[in-house]
Amino acid sequence: MFFHIILERNMQLHPRHFGSRLRDKLVSKLIKEVEGTCSGRHGFVVAIMGIEHVGKGLIRDGTGFVTFPVKYKCVVFRPFKGEILEAVVTMVNKMGFFAETGPVQVFVSNHLIPDDMEFQSGDTPNYITSDGSVKIQKDSEVRLKIIGTRVDATEIFCIGTIKDDFLGVISDPGAAA
Amino acid sequence: MPRVRDDYEDDLDEEEGDEYGGEELLDDEEEAEDEEEDEDYDAGEKSAKKRRRSEFIDDAALEDDEEEDDDYGGRRSSKKGRGGGGFIDDIALEADEEEEEEEEGEDDFIVDNPADIVEDDDRRMHRRPLLPREDQEEDVEDLERRIQERYARSSQAEYDEETTDVEQQALLPSVRDPKLWMVKCAIGREREVAVCLMQKFIDKGSELQIRSAIALDHLKNYIYIEADKEAHVREAIKGMRNIFGAKITLVPIKEMTDVLSVESKAIDLSRDTWVRMKTGTYKGDLAKVLDVDNVRQRVTVKLIPRIDLQALANKLDGREVAKKKAFVPPPRFMNIEEARELHIRVERRRDPMTGDYYENIGGMMFKDGFLIKTVSMKSISTQNIQPTFDELEKFRQPDERDGEIGSLSTLFANRKKGHFMKGDAVIIVKGDLKNLKGWVEKVEDGNVHIRPNEKGLPVLCSTSELFLQYSKLVLSVCLLLSFFMQKTLAINEKELCKYFEPGNHVKVISGSHEGATGMVVKVEGHVLIILSDTTKEHIRVFADHVVESSEVTTGVTKLGDFELHDLVLLDNMSFGVIIRVESEAFQVLKGVPDRPEVVLVRLREIKSKIDKKLVAQDRSKNTISVKDVVRVLEGPCKGKQGPVEHIFRGVLFIYDRHHLEHAGFICAKSQSCLVVGGSRGNREKIGDPLSYLRTPQRVPQSPGRLPPRAGGRHRGGPGGRGHDSLIGTTVKIRLGPYKGYRGRVKDIKGTTVRVELESQMKEVTGKDSSRYGMGSETPMHPSRTPMHPYMTPMRDPGATPIHDGIIGKKRILLRGEPPGSPPSRTYDAPTPGSGWANTPGGSYDAATPRDNGSAYVNAPSPYLPSTPGQPMTPSSAAYLPGTPGGQPMTPGGGGLDMMSPAIGGENEGLWLLPDILVNVHKPGDDAMIGVVQEVMADGSCRVALGSDGSGDMVTAQPNEIEVIQPRKSDKIKIMGGAQRGSTGKLIGVDGTDGIVKVDDTLDVKILDMGILAKLAQS
Repeated sequence: MFFHIILERNMQLHPRHFGSRLRDKLVSKLIKEVEGTCSGRHGFVVAIMGIEHVGKGLIRDGTGFVTFPVKYKCVVFRPFKGEILEAVVTMVNKMGFFAETGPVQVFVSNHLIPDDMEFQSGDTPNYITSDGSVKIQKDSEVRLKIIGTRVDATEIFCIGTIKDDFLGVISDPGAAA
Repeated sequence: MPRVRDDYEDDLDEEEGDEYGGEELLDDEEEAEDEEEDEDYDAGEKSAKKRRRSEFIDDAALEDDEEEDDDYGGRRSSKKGRGGGGFIDDIALEADEEEEEEEEGEDDFIVDNPADIVEDDDRRMHRRPLLPREDQEEDVEDLERRIQERYARSSQAEYDEETTDVEQQALLPSVRDPKLWMVKCAIGREREVAVCLMQKFIDKGSELQIRSAIALDHLKNYIYIEADKEAHVREAIKGMRNIFGAKITLVPIKEMTDVLSVESKAIDLSRDTWVRMKTGTYKGDLAKVLDVDNVRQRVTVKLIPRIDLQALANKLDGREVAKKKAFVPPPRFMNIEEARELHIRVERRRDPMTGDYYENIGGMMFKDGFLIKTVSMKSISTQNIQPTFDELEKFRQPDERDGEIGSLSTLFANRKKGHFMKGDAVIIVKGDLKNLKGWVEKVEDGNVHIRPNEKGLPVLCSTSELFLQYSKLVLSVCLLLSFFMQKTLAINEKELCKYFEPGNHVKVISGSHEGATGMVVKVEGHVLIILSDTTKEHIRVFADHVVESSEVTTGVTKLGDFELHDLVLLDNMSFGVIIRVESEAFQVLKGVPDRPEVVLVRLREIKSKIDKKLVAQDRSKNTISVKDVVRVLEGPCKGKQGPVEHIFRGVLFIYDRHHLEHAGFICAKSQSCLVVGGSRGNREKIGDPLSYLRTPQRVPQSPGRLPPRAGGRHRGGPGGRGHDSLIGTTVKIRLGPYKGYRGRVKDIKGTTVRVELESQMKEVTGKDSSRYGMGSETPMHPSRTPMHPYMTPMRDPGATPIHDGIIGKKRILLRGEPPGSPPSRTYDAPTPGSGWANTPGGSYDAATPRDNGSAYVNAPSPYLPSTPGQPMTPSSAAYLPGTPGGQPMTPGGGGLDMMSPAIGGENEGLWLLPDILVNVHKPGDDAMIGVVQEVMADGSCRVALGSDGSGDMVTAQPNEIEVIQPRKSDKIKIMGGAQRGSTGKLIGVDGTDGIVKVDDTLDVKILDMGILAKLAQS
């Protein structure tokens, strides 16, 4: 789920940037540092929408670096258990398939794929129903439900299922072609 | 409530059994005997005599035998020789018969079973073949009655639960009571001796004044005899074998109780528990208990048969069977069809007890492919059985319906203490409340208080009826008070199982996957399928073996000295990357580029960790080093891309995060990869100075020293390797604060060298190895070993200890070289003899060259040019006269082959002297005998061909010359040592020493054969 929240961060700035463009520098540095990172609490920081407030800088002894507390508005993405997401399949193997929804990697185990779908190895490994009507392969788009998340320092990893009503393939690259 | 009743009754039964089992002390003894009896009759086929003997001996081996006999279907015994066990109490007999009965019940239909035909009358009396069932029942009752009678006396005491401590105290032995004496006896004969004493007592009656004799299973070499006086003991043991009366010790009164206190080891066996076999063919195999007979201490188990059908067929046909079984057949389900094909008689029978049908093959019973076997309780182990998943899977295979619940009961039995913790989600798996989920609130021993998550639980409707129900449930004691008051339920922990839902992140805390973490993907009853965090593989574990945890670990990552993802050298000189660490072994992806080959390797099978910074070349000759990102261009992993984790022998181990197999590792040839993007620019500076210093013209050295490897020879390969070989060598530090210090190289990593200083008892890390001797050495003297320049410490060999292993060799090797040979020396003193001028003769005692020799033979020597016919520069030639010695020498000189190279190393080409007989090997020609006429300054010689020097004159390079070894009573010339140049006569050869009578002084000297040369007849 996406959230628009305000976060705070202490930014350290090298003295050489002190000057008229200090604020710009601060913002660009913030964007560089924060966007794309992941925190267990808030999830992935997708984009910084703006700076809310820049606090008073504090010069650090010895180094001359200045620490600014910066409050910024950003969009974060955090997957939740039970959430329904749409994802693009990135890899299919006999244990299941990996899909990505934005920065989050989701694994759908073959235990969580409907029983009527069978794994087929080969050039493009895929899961296919016995009648061949539904096929999951690389680049397929699927709708899945998150059943578990694991949050690392830099990554959120999810386990999803498509073994539920209204879940499964929503668009097939093969069909489109 | 049939279930409840069942439980209840079961429990009663159990109690009875326990009672019976628990109260005997001395009877234990007899019981054991009974056991053996059973075993014997069961296995049959033993002569009366043998059986008689075995009655007395509790011999594991014997039991083993019997087990095995059993396997191949011992025919049921004919009961000869039973009279032998006169003193065996009738219970045992009864039990035997009972058993016979049961087994005979099925055997009834056998016509051709010889055992059946020869039955004796005694047996028939008890047999009523038409009504086996009734018979059985009656017998059981009868048996029960007898047991009751027998133990009635002691069971009174049992029921008397009100015994106070004081009363117990009163029972303790006092001074007035008979004493216990500890008597030594032969090891393993304890029981026998005790039984002999019993026999003696029976025979002699009251003459024997001892009260009892006790043999304890756990006490070897001694038995206890209870008697009032030591003299009585002596009297009793007089004339007995295996007992040594010399040492009779009194057991202090205080300790007497300890002797007989039995550590209660209540065997909690019930149906469907998992056990392991202790003996026989099935030793260690998992078995499932089908039936327990507490009275007879026998258990019926279900096993996966290990039967060699062919052998069985042979046996049944009466053909010769190899006596000794070379191997234990692998466990395999019995295939009846297969058996029939081998003309094994398969009969289908109905078991009179259960009404099930069994296949009977040669006396063994099979059901659904399983072997059904009745064994003694002693031959199974019930404690700490942790069936692995595979084993359980196997057991499940034939019939799917049987499985989960049954297997759970033992799993639970083996739970660790403190299994449940507050907050755990649990599910009730047994009893009325089955499938009720809840959370653990409190754990008392044995009982777990759970808060059910079910709202509409009959908390208030619990009437007296409910009360009754629960009170009947002996196992699931519900503390009703808490039931009402706290809305928690107290459940026996055996009825609980942890409960997880898909998506939970868990950690495995026991079992084979201990330590792994992952997310639950699927819950199948009490089995979870977990997606491991690290391997991204599915793991099947029991719900009981995991706890919920947010921790992310890889499981075990270290075992011994090796860690996950280490590159290791395996036993058979292959290598690979550890891709998984299991409890006792590693999974290693071998360095075979063509196909992924994974082997399971035990810790001891790993030779060493390969921790070198090697480089390799990719297809377009770019240097690949560790951490470079490469793309695989061909082979099975074509298209994969990732950073190189290890390089060894031109094989790259690439880590591709998207590769799910083998922990993401891909093995590829360096030649079939391409570096992606640029290699890090500064690498040349970091990794290579060593290699590039030493690479040029190391050709003569490398092939000999290094195993050939693809791609590795080009640049850094030999450098790295050669460098590593310096570990253990002594170096001198050239620069920095430790300049001038001497030390032993402990470790080399990249460009840093750890040196253990000899003088300061400490280790220092040097940054650049060019600071050390060998680093700067190599380029100057390409064909030399880097150790040469620092010969100084070697001058006084006594000063440095000689270390074993590689170090030792190196050291010795160094020592054997011309003392004090700084590089210049060899070059400026090419004249023969001059090398010796500054040689202290003492350092050339016989021992040195010999060691030296072996060092040369063992270690591929840099002195041996492995490229024959390589052009010799004069300077390098100075080193080479020794070379021919490296090749097999003249026949006859047994120890000499080994010796000769030593000479080469030692004398450096200056050792030839005129007038000695030599073999000249010119390339392309056969060896010719010649006499050295003159030794040139460059080491080459003018040799007159012919054994007397009458032939043509040729000039031979030192490496073409081979000294002819003198034989006994030959005239010789001494070529080394203080007596160099003198002539003499070889009067004897002793191994590598020659006994020489020197001409000038007429002294008899013992000299090394290596420095003796045959003198030409003049």
